[in-house]
Amino acid sequence: MEIKGFIDPTFSAVQAKVPPARRPASLAGKVIGLLDNTKEGADIILQTIGDALVERYGAARAVIRKKEMFSKVAAPEIINEMAGEVQIAVAALGG
Amino acid sequence: MCSVHDTVEFEKRGIPAAVIITEAFARAATFQFRSKGMEGHPYIELPHPISNLTAGQIREVTLRQIDALARQLTA
Amino acid sequence: MDEFEFFLEKQWSDGFPVVTPTEERVARMLAGTRAEPDQALGDIPPAMGPATVRTVAIHAVMAGCKPEYLPILLGAIPLLLRPELNLNAVQGTMGSAAPLLIVNGPYAKQVGVHGGNGCFGPGFRANASIGRAVRLMLTNLGSGIPGIGSSTVFASPLRYTACLTENMELSPWESLAVARGYAPDANVITCAMVDPPRYGFDDFSTEPGRLLTGIADSMSALNMMNMSVPRCAMVVAMCPTQARICAQAGMGRAAVVERLRELAGRPVRELRRGGTWRTERAEKLNIDFHNEDLFVPAIKHPDDLHLIVAGGLGPITAVLPGWGGGSIAVHGEYEV
Repeated sequence: MEIKGFIDPTFSAVQAKVPPARRPASLAGKVIGLLDNTKEGADIILQTIGDALVERYGAARAVIRKKEMFSKVAAPEIINEMAGEVQIAVAALGG
Repeated sequence: MCSVHDTVEFEKRGIPAAVIITEAFARAATFQFRSKGMEGHPYIELPHPISNLTAGQIREVTLRQIDALARQLTA
Repeated sequence: MDEFEFFLEKQWSDGFPVVTPTEERVARMLAGTRAEPDQALGDIPPAMGPATVRTVAIHAVMAGCKPEYLPILLGAIPLLLRPELNLNAVQGTMGSAAPLLIVNGPYAKQVGVHGGNGCFGPGFRANASIGRAVRLMLTNLGSGIPGIGSSTVFASPLRYTACLTENMELSPWESLAVARGYAPDANVITCAMVDPPRYGFDDFSTEPGRLLTGIADSMSALNMMNMSVPRCAMVVAMCPTQARICAQAGMGRAAVVERLRELAGRPVRELRRGGTWRTERAEKLNIDFHNEDLFVPAIKHPDDLHLIVAGGLGPITAVLPGWGGGSIAVHGEYEV
């Protein structure tokens, strides 16, 4: 679009809104999926979270999956596979 | 970053999801959620850096956020 | 509203004025290609702004490109989007890597891409504007902006611009592209995510053993990511003088690369003294953290050391470390 006699190529993403998934009332009995992006510390963070959510919040169990490389997005297969098995997901470590 | 992407992908599949980041990436995470259509999605922020903490220290800073995490994942 | 102020105030501005993009200027730029303006080249992460031939042309105008530079940019975009280069991650990283475009082949020379003295610095329009057009797309279309899509600690001067060719007039060897197997008349771009050059000065060595030992030392700093990760590109730009020292001793490119790979590294004992080295790093490299005498090479994979001959005559070689988070250099032919 040409305005003021020149083109403004500024890009601003207009993303379709993604509604968040419905949250359950509690974590009791839920299977927690933990996605480890292999950055240093991610495994300890997720192990801690898995244990705590089971002990303190009654989650059924936690499963940990490792990504191939922290800097890449998880392969859709990993996400789909986890989505079939878990009701809650936690990803670490961002960045 | 990619963990935000993964979090959004879980949400799209109906799975409540949370992401743990360190404070160095807080602004990037906010931007990433907005650019993926989930503006305002919360995240759990740990102090930066994590990489030079002992395992015990990492557990400690993580445990401090467990209640906040549970709140993000439940109604 | 002053048009220069308008663009200087944009969040995606690189801090320098741009050439105001008008329909007329963009039309002139598009004359530099036969490609259709609406042709989609891909989306620039993380914001996923679309790069079409037209949007590339707009950024080329802003960067100060001539129309004849446009084919190089159109060839660079698909390379930048190759998954193994991992642009999405580099856009967001705390690190500083920037995409260095090494443009080989006759077209680069024809349009004035510079590979001789001063090639990493200001003064060469093709180098400056092609590299800058790339960066403006990474910031505008991709939102690779500090504090927005990017967590970069320092960024780097290469994030203003990073484009050059080899000094084929003075190089004793075939080009990087030809060494990879491309035809001598092919127009090829290699793109590697790298940090700024670290320069090594050696006006004393007259034979490769000593010369390459000195260069190898600057390839293996303790706090360099190359030392600690399985795959990490590195570019070594030898000035023609030092390349000739090797060539006159009977070494071709491959021999120099091999020798540098043998020489560049540290024993575990030294790595433990400082930098990012720790047990987790050793584990990922399948290295025994406790074997103190074990030599850890800086370049662990034969495809990760990219040797070019560039710069003017003189006793200096540049080492450009790569990005340790997982970015492999890419290369491909482009059409003119």
